[in-house]
Amino acid sequence: MTGPALRYDGVSVGYQGTAVLTHVDLDVRAGQRLALVGPNGAGKSTLIKSVLGLVPVLAGQASVLGADPSAARGQAGYVPQTDTLDADFPVSVRQVVMMGRYRRIGWWRPARAADRRAVAEALDRVGLADRAGHRFGTLSGGQRQRVLLARAIASEPRLLLLDEPFNGVDAVSQDEIVRVLRELSAGGAALVISTHDLGVARDLADVVCLLNGRQWAVGAPSEVLTAEKLRMTYGGHVVDVADGQMMLVEP
Amino acid sequence: MSWWDDALHRAVAEVVLAGALAGLIGVHVVVRRLSFFTMALTHATFPGIVLASIIGVNIMLGGVVAGGIVAVGVVALTRRRGQDASAATGVLLSAGFALGAALVATQSGFSRDLSSFLVGSILTVGTQDLVVTAVVLVVVAVGLTVGARPLLQIGFDRSGAQAAGLAIGRWDLLLLLTIQVVVVTMVPAVGTILAVSLIVAPAAAARLWSDRLPVVTALSIVFAVGSGLVGLWISSRWNVAAGASISLTATAVLAASWLPARLRTAVVRLPVAPAGRA
Repeated sequence: MTGPALRYDGVSVGYQGTAVLTHVDLDVRAGQRLALVGPNGAGKSTLIKSVLGLVPVLAGQASVLGADPSAARGQAGYVPQTDTLDADFPVSVRQVVMMGRYRRIGWWRPARAADRRAVAEALDRVGLADRAGHRFGTLSGGQRQRVLLARAIASEPRLLLLDEPFNGVDAVSQDEIVRVLRELSAGGAALVISTHDLGVARDLADVVCLLNGRQWAVGAPSEVLTAEKLRMTYGGHVVDVADGQMMLVEP
Repeated sequence: MSWWDDALHRAVAEVVLAGALAGLIGVHVVVRRLSFFTMALTHATFPGIVLASIIGVNIMLGGVVAGGIVAVGVVALTRRRGQDASAATGVLLSAGFALGAALVATQSGFSRDLSSFLVGSILTVGTQDLVVTAVVLVVVAVGLTVGARPLLQIGFDRSGAQAAGLAIGRWDLLLLLTIQVVVVTMVPAVGTILAVSLIVAPAAAARLWSDRLPVVTALSIVFAVGSGLVGLWISSRWNVAAGASISLTATAVLAASWLPARLRTAVVRLPVAPAGRA
């Protein structure tokens, strides 16, 4: 594919005709990592859902994998926030990762050896091969996030959207997730990662997009993650600390 | 005289079929936390059946239509933001029952039939009931097998299932209507009100014994069929109402499963191992 994996021109998205997020301009290409940064309620999840075709585009031009978002539904990989999952559900880690293969297998046909191999490899890549038989809900928050990442890997997406993948994740799992995400983009996948962790955005992303009700800035981390632009986005609750690092403070 | 001419033999066949059906759908009811909804369905089915019997149409049809209205209503309410589905379900539950009672009061000499709708009358099950239960069992078993993956993904991860392209609203409705058909099918065996115990208790008990869905399903069917047979035996041995003894047996299975499960969890939790938790 030569065109962008994701392209938004002056897009507004929202529910029932009311815009939640406006003025979004994005251009994400194969191998790029885009971080969506903003406070809670900024519209990060809504933007991701619009790419998945689950929230309508109200204005502007949106193209996902070369098609309209609603037509591209089911094509992009998606890692939801772990707290939206049913942790009591009797489903094994292996079954969760196999869900990533459903689109290839079909909803009805039995899994083949290639699918089982892909599942085993994906679990191996996130370092959880030994947990395949465990129930998903028995794992820690970081491990659950890595299982969902393995599910996304198993689906071999060209565009992968991750909603707050570092929420409630310990340092070991965070490093593991960052490593795997770098590998995925090196393999040609385009990644969109929502986070409110400025440090992760700075370290991981090629492009950072600042959001809060609208898009306030987009560009390289060094250009966008500045005190001035962050203050603009967060409404003044940002202070400079040593070594050019930013810190958000509650009002 | 053929084997089927004996009322007790027909009752045995009916509890085996209805038990398998209840155990099968019960797993979905329990893992999707639809027990309360199923309770509401059983109560809403009651006025439908009463009305059907008053106007002289097939009572199963009446039950399916009444329950179908509730199922559609609950799906519509849960799709509305900010609506508390459990409040609406609770209101529908008692309103349905009240409507059924009101309808019964308009008829004289109706109370004997009334109790058979509420708690079943398995010893009067006819060949037609058996055929209907068998057909519904086959259709539901095939449907749940074919829909296993979508149902698994929607139950575990709704937003992921939606992103994967599944029409979750339609699947929800299909599942709720399937539960409704099962409830109505079980009316001759255990009645509308007691159906919920044979659907929920064996599956809830099975869930305590395993984390693996195929094992839970198999155990749920075994517990439900077993409760039906044991309940029927108790009923004929001590001359108590069959629907009641079947329900109480299913409840006893759940109670008996709960204690070992609690003990097992307590034992597993004793040696707390911080190592390996990443």
